[in-house]
Amino acid sequence: MSSHSHGAVTVNSGPENAEVFFSGLWKQNPVFVQALGMCPMLAITNSVRNAIAMGIATLFVLVCSNALISMVRRIVPRQVRIATYILIIATFVTIVEYLIKAVSIPVYKALGPFIALIVVNCMILGRAEAFASKNTVGKSILDGLGMGIGFAIGLLCLGSVREILGAGSFLGIPLFGPNYQPWVLFLLPPGGFFTLGGWLLVFAWWKNRQRRQKDLALGARA
Amino acid sequence: MSQAAPVLKSAPPASTASSSQMIRVMGIVSLVCGLLIVTTHLGTLEPIRKNQEILTGEAVAELLPGVQKQVTYYAQASGELAVSNGSATAPAGSRLIAGYTASGQLLGVVIEARERGYADMITGMYAYSPEQQAIVGFKVVELKETPGLGDKIVTDATFLANFRKLEARLDDTGQKLLHAIVTVKNGTKKNPWEIDAISGATISSRAVGRMLHKSAEQLLPVITKHRGRIEKGE
Repeated sequence: MSSHSHGAVTVNSGPENAEVFFSGLWKQNPVFVQALGMCPMLAITNSVRNAIAMGIATLFVLVCSNALISMVRRIVPRQVRIATYILIIATFVTIVEYLIKAVSIPVYKALGPFIALIVVNCMILGRAEAFASKNTVGKSILDGLGMGIGFAIGLLCLGSVREILGAGSFLGIPLFGPNYQPWVLFLLPPGGFFTLGGWLLVFAWWKNRQRRQKDLALGARA
Repeated sequence: MSQAAPVLKSAPPASTASSSQMIRVMGIVSLVCGLLIVTTHLGTLEPIRKNQEILTGEAVAELLPGVQKQVTYYAQASGELAVSNGSATAPAGSRLIAGYTASGQLLGVVIEARERGYADMITGMYAYSPEQQAIVGFKVVELKETPGLGDKIVTDATFLANFRKLEARLDDTGQKLLHAIVTVKNGTKKNPWEIDAISGATISSRAVGRMLHKSAEQLLPVITKHRGRIEKGE
């Protein structure tokens, strides 16, 4: 993580592999840091199952489209690059739609139109334009993996809180017994916003605390 | 938008690309994408069909406990009944799945129906018993109703008890229902053809009533007309 490759430009310059992968998970987390892909994020995270399915679907599309876009990056004229990216992304979204149907029809029905809407998830086009169109296939796949897993973690964070509070269960398994009165608000759209706000608060607080501790340590030394 | 750490700036491909070049590149990419989609479509055709079959089979087993054998019919607009020959292309018309015991006795006919609910279309399946002239089971297959309110129609035990034996009798002409199936206000059910609504989920409960009424009025005459055939499983 620490080795920034500044300085001499070599053929292989650019971000380190590990850095590429981990920045999506944490430093550039698409949900908590970049706040991208909020639409599916808020819409389908009312259960852990949906969150996981959406996370995997987005991860698949992101990795595949990053790989293919990186492969064709040198032959695509600048003027039609966005159209080409959208075409490639839409292809993989269609493929993932078929695959989800083949794996589980109930999951396909639960995700509804949000599978098709992965096409317009700005995170995916963002990675195509910001990363895959400028980097090697290997690095683009790593970037897709990192960002995709980071997105999935974000979905899971929201999905768990909303299902536990809103339905009193986790992955459909009841947690609190029959007397639990579900906090249904959390399954509804406002609950999505509350939960997202809550997580953003937690992250901001944690970051602040880290910075403060660093400052304190510096101050003590001085 | 924030970007990931330093990125390699490769020279952008010739910014003076000609139209033919753009068309060529997009054509090639489209071709590759098209091939990918077609391959996936063909590859998943069979698993998807199997999944759907399993799902339907499970729903039928739930609605008609003890079912051992199923025959699928299609009720055509002309009032005729077509038997599914098991091929991938189903004949037109509403699907009716007749369920039998191991000894071949007809348990009932499972019918799929749809109706507009509060948020979106509600899809349900119900079992009709020609012998009892009643709906003997109902199950929601798909809905997007409000969690905690409208979606109670899936789980509410008192509501589902309405469908243990909901009268659906045809009148003497055999063309329409003697009594329309209706949803009534919670706690006011008096007749066997009425559905007691869930309080707080009135719109969704009413949608179920409308769904059953419309579907029964349309399909029960067909089932009654061909009852002999269905009982023999032909």
